[in-house]
Amino acid sequence: MTNLPPVQSFRESFNFRCNLSKKLQFPILKISTHLEALSDNALMIKVRDGHLDTLGLLFARYKKPLFGFFYGMNRDAELSEDLVQNVFYRILKYRYLFRGEGDFKTWMFHIARNVNHDNFRKDKIRFKDSIEDWQERLGSDENRATEFQKDEELQLLSMAMDRLPEDKREILLLSKYQDKKYKEIGDTLGCSEGAVKVKVFRALQELKAVYSELEKNN
Amino acid sequence: MMETQKVQRLLLKYNAGEADPGEIKEIENLVELGKIQLDDIEGFKKLSDEIVSIQTADPSRSLDEKFHQMLSAEKARSTKSSWRNIFSSIDLMPRLAFASITLLVGLAVGYILRSPAKEEEQIVQLGREISDLKEMMMLSLLEKESATDRLKAVSLTQGMDQVSKHVTGALLQTLNNDENVNVRLAALDALRPYSKDGQIREALVRSIALQKSPLVQVALAELMAELQEKGAINEFEKILKDGETPSDIKKKIRESMQVI
Repeated sequence: MTNLPPVQSFRESFNFRCNLSKKLQFPILKISTHLEALSDNALMIKVRDGHLDTLGLLFARYKKPLFGFFYGMNRDAELSEDLVQNVFYRILKYRYLFRGEGDFKTWMFHIARNVNHDNFRKDKIRFKDSIEDWQERLGSDENRATEFQKDEELQLLSMAMDRLPEDKREILLLSKYQDKKYKEIGDTLGCSEGAVKVKVFRALQELKAVYSELEKNN
Repeated sequence: MMETQKVQRLLLKYNAGEADPGEIKEIENLVELGKIQLDDIEGFKKLSDEIVSIQTADPSRSLDEKFHQMLSAEKARSTKSSWRNIFSSIDLMPRLAFASITLLVGLAVGYILRSPAKEEEQIVQLGREISDLKEMMMLSLLEKESATDRLKAVSLTQGMDQVSKHVTGALLQTLNNDENVNVRLAALDALRPYSKDGQIREALVRSIALQKSPLVQVALAELMAELQEKGAINEFEKILKDGETPSDIKKKIRESMQVI
């Protein structure tokens, strides 16, 4: 004979459910308000209003995606770190421009793009790299880029990405780090959602071709 | 229905790698309009999923350090400039400007309208003239027949800040010679504030012997007691020896003498 638990009457079960829902209602509300207060926009508004420490939370949230974006663009870890730092410097400097109406992530990537373009311009003026230098750098960095990829397929894809023109690489990286939210990417780039889709289409089309080429040579 | 079939046909052709540039352009248009989803194109979903899977190394710790250094520097800077921020606030600027302009205008008006130093001298002179006039009036009133006028004259000295020797002399004269007791008492009262002056005090002591009225004698005795004037004792003793002095007055004088 096994000891079975006592059978609950319907009334008991009903009361238990009511009490549970009463108990849960408040914490659920509390948690959702708490989460709202921790949303990117709410945090950035706090930063704007002078609570500068709050930027630490946003930094912790976005340092990696931003680093990934820059690293994907230039394959230079040290430079990418500098650029991430630069993005947060600009966020601090222009914090009063954040109105909280748009999406923080969109605004941040908009700044990141500007930082990247400014750096690219500066780089171009400073070094005036020859194609050979560039290729040499790309070649050595390719090794660094691929060392993280366990899968051979991903290594090949990573190399294919590096061979894409900058604008195409950028759109694919934005798509990756902005979770394929084409409308938001459009806000970052200043174009329509449809135009972003076309850009992604062209980038993927070229990526596919480069990838196939690499695969063939391998 | 027709369009769906057309889209399907285009996609099939594209996926087979047989689409010409015109057809690719058409597919782009359909992608832009949202009629073809990117994931519907062969290999695209796999590719974009793989892009997401590409791992990137984590940024080094020095990035965190640099960030926190920058944040601390910015915090220090913003605390320092918080006062400056208050004054550079957009709302406050017009108010401050308005307040400053009002203040400057007020100062300018005040400077233009202010009384020059000369006027102050004139006021002092005017005050002196009024006081001279009062003195003259008092002296002339003291000459009057009516006791009321003479009382008025004596009371006029009370409104004066500083009196000349003419005035104190006239008051002592009144104290010693006026026929009316009330006028004499009023003169004594008027002289009270100047009794610290040695000459006046002496004149008051000499006045004791001249007084016939017991009321004035008592008032003088009280004043002497108040002033602790020992020179007055001889004069009072003379009064005490005088047989005509009423006993009540003698008693009062004795009390005052004891105080001295």
